[in-house]
Formats: sequence, C-alpha cells, structure tokens
Amino acid sequence: MAEEAFETVVATHHAEIHRYLVRVTRRPGDADDLSQETFIRAFRAHASLTPGSNVRAWLFAIATNLCRNYWRSESRRRRAHEAAGETAAHHEEAGGEETMVMEQAGEEIGRIVAALPLRQRLAFTLRKVHELEYESIGRSLDCSPDTARAHVFQALRKIRRGLDAHAAMRTESTR
Amino acid sequence: MTTMSRECREIEPDLIAVATAEAPAAAARRVERHVESCASCRSELARYQTVDGLVTAYRDTRAPEADPTLARAQLESRLADLRSRVMRYGVFDSPLGPIAIGVSEHGVSMVEYVRQAERTGGRLARRTGEEAVEDPRRTEGLYRELADYLDGRRTRLDWPLDLRRTRSDFQRRVLEATAHLPYGAVTSYAGIARQIGAPRATRAVAQALRHNPLPIVVPCHRVIGSRGDLTGYAGTRIGLKRDLLAVEGIHTVAGRGDYHVDRRAVYYKYLDGGEYCLPTCGGILEKPLGEFTVFGSRARAEAVGLQPCSDCRPDLHPLPA
Repeated sequence: MAEEAFETVVATHHAEIHRYLVRVTRRPGDADDLSQETFIRAFRAHASLTPGSNVRAWLFAIATNLCRNYWRSESRRRRAHEAAGETAAHHEEAGGEETMVMEQAGEEIGRIVAALPLRQRLAFTLRKVHELEYESIGRSLDCSPDTARAHVFQALRKIRRGLDAHAAMRTESTR
Repeated sequence: MTTMSRECREIEPDLIAVATAEAPAAAARRVERHVESCASCRSELARYQTVDGLVTAYRDTRAPEADPTLARAQLESRLADLRSRVMRYGVFDSPLGPIAIGVSEHGVSMVEYVRQAERTGGRLARRTGEEAVEDPRRTEGLYRELADYLDGRRTRLDWPLDLRRTRSDFQRRVLEATAHLPYGAVTSYAGIARQIGAPRATRAVAQALRHNPLPIVVPCHRVIGSRGDLTGYAGTRIGLKRDLLAVEGIHTVAGRGDYHVDRRAVYYKYLDGGEYCLPTCGGILEKPLGEFTVFGSRARAEAVGLQPCSDCRPDLHPLPA
C-alpha cells in the first residue's frame, strides 16, 4: 500500500524533478542519473515521511542535496562550463534573423545562470522556475528563508548585469 | 549625493522584490515613495521589471533535451528490483519480549525475537542481503493479530508467507509441513521427517527448524523431541516454547534444564488417521512420538475434524483436565 502511494509520487513529480536537474546540471545524462537517485532515496525514506508533508518540496530538497554533492567534484563543474560554452556557440551559428528577442534573452539567462555559484543557481532555479517557497528552498539548502531569498536576489542582480552587457555587445556589433 | 546613494543602496533589495512581485506592502510603499523622487532608481525598477519578464520567458523555454522518458523507465525498473528486495519491518513489545515483524511484497518474510536495545535494520540488511526499512505502520496490523494470538484470542495467523529466505528446498518442505501442524497439537522432529518422506532425516529437520525465519507463524514450537522433551527454541530460550505451548493448551512438566510433554496426558492421532485416541489405546505409549500428532485437549482434536476412537472412546473416558 505504501508502494502504490509511491507510484503516484513518481508519476506526479518525476518529470518536473528531471527538468530541474537538467537545468541545474546542464547535462541530460547526469540529470537522468540524479533524478533516478532522487527517487530511489525518496522510496527508501518514504515510509518515515510524516503524513501530510509537502512531498514536492521534499523531493526538491533531496534532488538539491544530490546536486550539491555532485557539484563538489571540480571536474564536473568544468565540464558543465564547457557544455554551457558549446550551447552558446551552437546557438550563434543557428541564430537566424527570425530568432525572437525573448528567446535569445532566455538563452542568455541560461548561460548566466550556468555560471552562477552553485547555491545561487539552485536557489534561483527553485524559486523562479519551480516557484518553491523560500521556506522550502531554505530547507533544501540548509539556510534560512532570508538567506535563500538573498541568493535569489543576488542571482537576479547578476542576470541583470549580464543582460545589460549582452545588450551593449549586440548594439556594438549591429552598429 | 553620498547620502542619497546610501538610501538607494538600502532600498535596492526592496526594489528587486517589488519588480518580481515579492515585496510586502510596507516595502512596496517605501519603494513607491523613493522612486518618485529618484530617477535612477525609477529606471532601475523598470530594468528589473524587464528582467523579471525575461526570467519568465526563460522559465517557459524547455530545458535542453529534457526528455525524462528514458530516466523514468530506468527508474521504474530499479524500483521494481528494489521493491522485490525491500523488507518493511517494525519492532513491537510483545508479552514474549520485543518481536520484529517484516513483510516483503510477497508476504511476511521475518518474525524474530530481538534483544531489548537492538536496532535491527542494519544487521538484518547485512545478514539477508535484503533492504530492511523500518516501517512500523506497515506491520502494526500484523502485530495486533499476533498479540491476540499470544493472548489466546486467536488460533490462526492466516498470513501470506514469503519463504524466499529459506536455505534449501529441504528446509522449505520442513517449514511447509510444520505450518500445517494444527493449533494445540505437537509432533516430534521424526514426525515431520516422516511427513515429508525423509524418515531418516530427523537431525536435518531439527536443523532446518533451528533456522526458521518465521517462528510462531510457522509453528516450530509445536515440534518437540522424541521423548516429549522440548529440546530447544530460539537459541536457549526454551521458556518461550513452553509459554507458546501453554497458550495453546499443551501443558509441560519441568525437568532438568528442560520441559517435557507428559505423554500420558495428551490425545493421539496416527499421522494418517482420522480419529484421536487415549494414551492407553493399543500400546501407543510404547510407540515413538514421531508416529503421531498429539493434542492437549479433545476440543483441539475435534476442532480439526477428528472423531473419537471407537475402541478407547476418549469421549466417554476423557483424560483428567
């Protein structure tokens, strides 16, 4: 009976957790592994979860924890940066006239987010993409809700600066 | 100029909060008042509002190659494997001391007497290669039935059993034969050996029952020595065997370091028979216990459909209670 309930947990949340992990790792293969690990851990701990808990926030906390362990390996960090570079190069080639400004800005944000320090990147993604409460984000990152908020704002400042620089560069090149 | 820039610096977080629609009312009013008189913060606010809009666009773009289908399929197969190996257990304070009950997806896979302070999980997982997960909620219903059984309010535990932990096909046959011993009845190790068609394997039967993964449910306490002595139980805890038999109405007599069933105080059924007899019937007391299943009372014998023997008439001359 606990097993059946867990099937529902997988069906409801797997796709979103996977999306989150693709975004923060930028490596779909690693996101596959990490999403599996998230749910395997959740399965083991599911029985001890207090009834009525926020399962979604709990899963994000497990996934975030795994990300932080994952990112402790320096080589992975480097690979992710390279992946970010590749995506950027790829899009410059493919970028036609019809590419919309919004879409380009979205991609630029993706690059800026990939270069953020880990906690800022995780906090930003949890808040702005998956719309979790600061309370839950704080629990995921072992910090207070205020600190979680400060991470998100710091990320927004950097995005803003990055977009400004990007816009300036584009104005230069079209001139 | 300096004072103003400090004010601007201080209000900046609120500015971001307003731009991203996260500001509480008081902060929003503060920002509103400030930007009325500060052109640079006004344009900052507008810039952050644009950023917020672009972040929304970013959120709505699909994550690169975010197809979760393969990951989901791999997850399902790992979960299926895990489920088949997971045992969920709880430890309960029974009248016989702490008892752990574990269930797998196939049925009850473990009943174990544990020591008072023992944390079973890690040790169980190591010993069996299973994943032991403490989950008392999953097993507390079973424990309630077991508690009723130990109180004598219930005579059957009709639990689905998971016998995958048995060590061999031989052990499985021993356990299955033992599981068929009726409530309130005993036989000897030799009796079980005969029933499974291996009459010379008495010692092997005793060995198989020594490693019974499901004591009480597979009632190895109903299997005793050929001379009626209880022989052994749960290591050295022979007193538990005596208590379990007493609950079922089989009384034992204390001897040197052991207890035994008084062969003159029970009713006898030949292994293949359909009747129950007095101990005085047809030289029964000279025959080995392994030829019989014995009952503590007429009621228990009749509960499994036995008729009183037409020669010795236990219904007319019952044993003294």
